[in-house]
Amino acid sequence: MGRVLKEEKRGKWSSDLVLDLYSNLLAEIWELVSALIGEAILAFLVGLAVRKLGEKYPFLNSLTVSEEGISLDEMKEGCRTVAPVEIHRGFQSLINQLSHLFSVLAEGVINKELFPKVFPKVKEAERIISPK
Amino acid sequence: MRLIFKNLNVLRSTINAISTGIEIKEIVESAGNNLPNLFDFSSFGIFWKEDLLLFLYQEESCPPSFTQEVVNNMIKVFSILGEESVGADRIVLQIEKRKLRPKQMVMDPKATLKSYLTLPLAVEGEILGCIALNSDQPNAFDAQDLQFFSVIGYQMAATLKHFQRFSSIKNMAIYDTLTGLHNRRYFEERLEAEAQKCFHSNTPLSLVMVDIDFFKKVNDTFGHTEGDQILCRISSLLKTSVRKKDIVARYGGEEFILILPEARLEESFVIAERIRRLVENTLFEVRKTQVNLTLSMGVSNFPSHQVKSKEELVEMADQALYDAKRGGRNRVCIFTGKFARGAAPA
Repeated sequence: MGRVLKEEKRGKWSSDLVLDLYSNLLAEIWELVSALIGEAILAFLVGLAVRKLGEKYPFLNSLTVSEEGISLDEMKEGCRTVAPVEIHRGFQSLINQLSHLFSVLAEGVINKELFPKVFPKVKEAERIISPK
Repeated sequence: MRLIFKNLNVLRSTINAISTGIEIKEIVESAGNNLPNLFDFSSFGIFWKEDLLLFLYQEESCPPSFTQEVVNNMIKVFSILGEESVGADRIVLQIEKRKLRPKQMVMDPKATLKSYLTLPLAVEGEILGCIALNSDQPNAFDAQDLQFFSVIGYQMAATLKHFQRFSSIKNMAIYDTLTGLHNRRYFEERLEAEAQKCFHSNTPLSLVMVDIDFFKKVNDTFGHTEGDQILCRISSLLKTSVRKKDIVARYGGEEFILILPEARLEESFVIAERIRRLVENTLFEVRKTQVNLTLSMGVSNFPSHQVKSKEELVEMADQALYDAKRGGRNRVCIFTGKFARGAAPA
């Protein structure tokens, strides 16, 4: 987080830092939601969300999703040429898409748990990555 | 704490009941019987994609409008999860009504769907269907319900996948992959069973061995892909020309065999003749060319022929087929020992 703050002060974000930030956020979402619906179903839903957004944000296709979790390792190399704001938008859309799927499945039950813990961080990420 | 232990025990026995099921209906019923001990719901649904079967296990007093809402919602959610739209008119709906509530709590005839939990039945990234708990009460389900329901969903998906694999292996073991007819292995098994039954009860049993005349010419002229299509067409003609209780199998290459249980010799001859004429009068289109094909067939029968074993019955049908070939093809011959009685085309 110290590294993140330094970069924030400098006002310049590299693709790697945006990926790190979303890697942590997705890990939190994974931990929280997998406890509710299990790893297999969550992996299926993340895969579905990625397929939905893969055309608009092709870098998302290199996200590795399995019952072990979500890994961004393979994505890092390919993302060097992608603008950090674009990466941010892609992940933001992914989280929104997941949230939509959660509400399609269980109305508010999952999002009620997820919103207070994860969404302030999404908002914060948005504020520091793309300041108005 | 005691409640959690009680629920975990119910969950354990639910999972156990699901995992020991060997048919979809059995798995669904096991779940349906156990779920009321874990959740307060009006309707439990399971949608099985492969058969487009939607099974609802619901409260006796569920009004039809509520059922319809549940069906629509499950189809809508599955369409999102499965990335394919499923028409409500294609769904096979099965409803089992049970008394899930005390008399004073029967559902309002105007009850609507107020809350639900739906989960995909997903295994290794593949979606097999979905399950749903539905209620006419608002906010009927919480995070713990979701946790328990997901454990049940996971077990159901694993059991159903196992069931699907088992069915597919079973199909591979008894069907010919090209023609969709039964394969030789299945034929041998069924003949063993039918022969035992017929020899014991002295009821008739006939075999018809079928061979496509000059089929090699088709393969040599048009290629094996076109030849395979002809095999499929003829298989389908054979399948639709026999009685429901008859067994049609691919014996090998362009040879087929029919088991006709309880068919007397004359009856078998009539069936075989009908097939011979049908194929003779069918024009097979191969690469925009119309081709005529004919069949040669040999018939054997118990008790008309002095048969002591199923092997003898096959040998006799084979001998009769040989006689049909030798007699000029496009004919049905009945086994006669040394001489064959043939029916030449009119």
